[in-house]
Amino acid sequence: MRDGPAAAPTRGNGPTRADLLKRGGLAAAGGVAGAAVLTHAGGVFAAPSAAQEQRVLNLLLLVERTEDAFYRQALAQAGLSGDMQEYAEVVADHERAHRKALEDALGSAAEKEPSFDFGGAVKSPEAFAKAAASLEDIAVAAYNGQAGNVGKDAFLLAARIVSVEARHAAWIRSIAGRDPAPDAVDQPKTEKQIRAALRQIGVQA
Amino acid sequence: MSADFGLDLAVLDRDGALEEARAGLSRRSFFVGVAAGAGGLLLYRGTDAPAQTAADIDVLNYALVLEYLQAAFYTEAEQAKAIKGRAGEAASTVGAVERAHVKAFLDALGSKAVKRPQFDFQGVTEEPRAFLKTAVAFEDLAVAAYKGEAPKLQTPAIITTALGIHTVEARHAAWMRYLYGIRPAVNAFDEPRTRPEINKIVRETGFVTSTPQTRSSQAPRYTG
Repeated sequence: MRDGPAAAPTRGNGPTRADLLKRGGLAAAGGVAGAAVLTHAGGVFAAPSAAQEQRVLNLLLLVERTEDAFYRQALAQAGLSGDMQEYAEVVADHERAHRKALEDALGSAAEKEPSFDFGGAVKSPEAFAKAAASLEDIAVAAYNGQAGNVGKDAFLLAARIVSVEARHAAWIRSIAGRDPAPDAVDQPKTEKQIRAALRQIGVQA
Repeated sequence: MSADFGLDLAVLDRDGALEEARAGLSRRSFFVGVAAGAGGLLLYRGTDAPAQTAADIDVLNYALVLEYLQAAFYTEAEQAKAIKGRAGEAASTVGAVERAHVKAFLDALGSKAVKRPQFDFQGVTEEPRAFLKTAVAFEDLAVAAYKGEAPKLQTPAIITTALGIHTVEARHAAWMRYLYGIRPAVNAFDEPRTRPEINKIVRETGFVTSTPQTRSSQAPRYTG
């Protein structure tokens, strides 16, 4: 994460990260607000190295793959019904779309998908609700923590995803009778914290 | 949930997350994110405030007006005492958070802050369904506005906090939608909105009865 803001882009031949993001059709939608305003030189978006941006996008992809697998397994095994089933169905679709967007952005630089073991968290509605809230909070903290470590196109994609993760977090917390928005400002977490939290939830080494 | 939200904020960056979050950004900033000091939520702390560019001030003032609008709305609902039950609790809790956001922006902007506009919520703060419907609209609007504005910020100091506020507004949006009985998260991607779009929506509510003038003649007015 600390390649440094001044590191020159070290892209080889082949498409740039921005090209890959645009190929996914993602930069276009973000461009409503982004294109005109992100042109100031020396602004907040220092050019990350390709390696740095790939590392960040792979971290976010791991988050999305974990969520995708978690909801698919829970829908099959947790005996969900009512509000919670609707939540899981809708959110599973969203996570799949996020996953695909990040896979498209990374192309061949996407890491291999790990295996998952969510244990009891996908075996009962109560355990599911608790784990889902944790997972969504982790996702919000992961995206917020990496905002400064990517270029503008990846930033715009991340911004369009992170608020949806926050909506998921508040939704499942509402269903579970928990405070949907416990802080005045959501706090970022480090890559190390995110990886540790994901392992605890069920990502296998 | 405490009404005085500022006092509940944990002391932050115990673990270096904020440091890492801005590691790829400029290191000239003194920013340590939000911190729980005696005054509650801060946009930054340190002996020197981060240097704010004209673009930063413009965005902060724009966000401040949206926070003024939300804070006034929830505070009026809370004081009217007509919204009961879970919605009433939500009004109190979210109101305290929006007031904390207002204070953070005022502290950051100092003398450069725009004045609070006058609002007239036309009774929607006293009718439960109208209250929730309006809350949903305001929160969804705030999410789209922060997403549109955040990339314009030039000081790394401020962008991390702006993003953390952005996701809290998204949580509020989902919460109010849940209470209103509509789906909290409709699309896989939330899209940004431009200022003209936001201004148009706000103007059409008729809730803003006086408009603040920003200091710069080049900066757009809150309502055009």
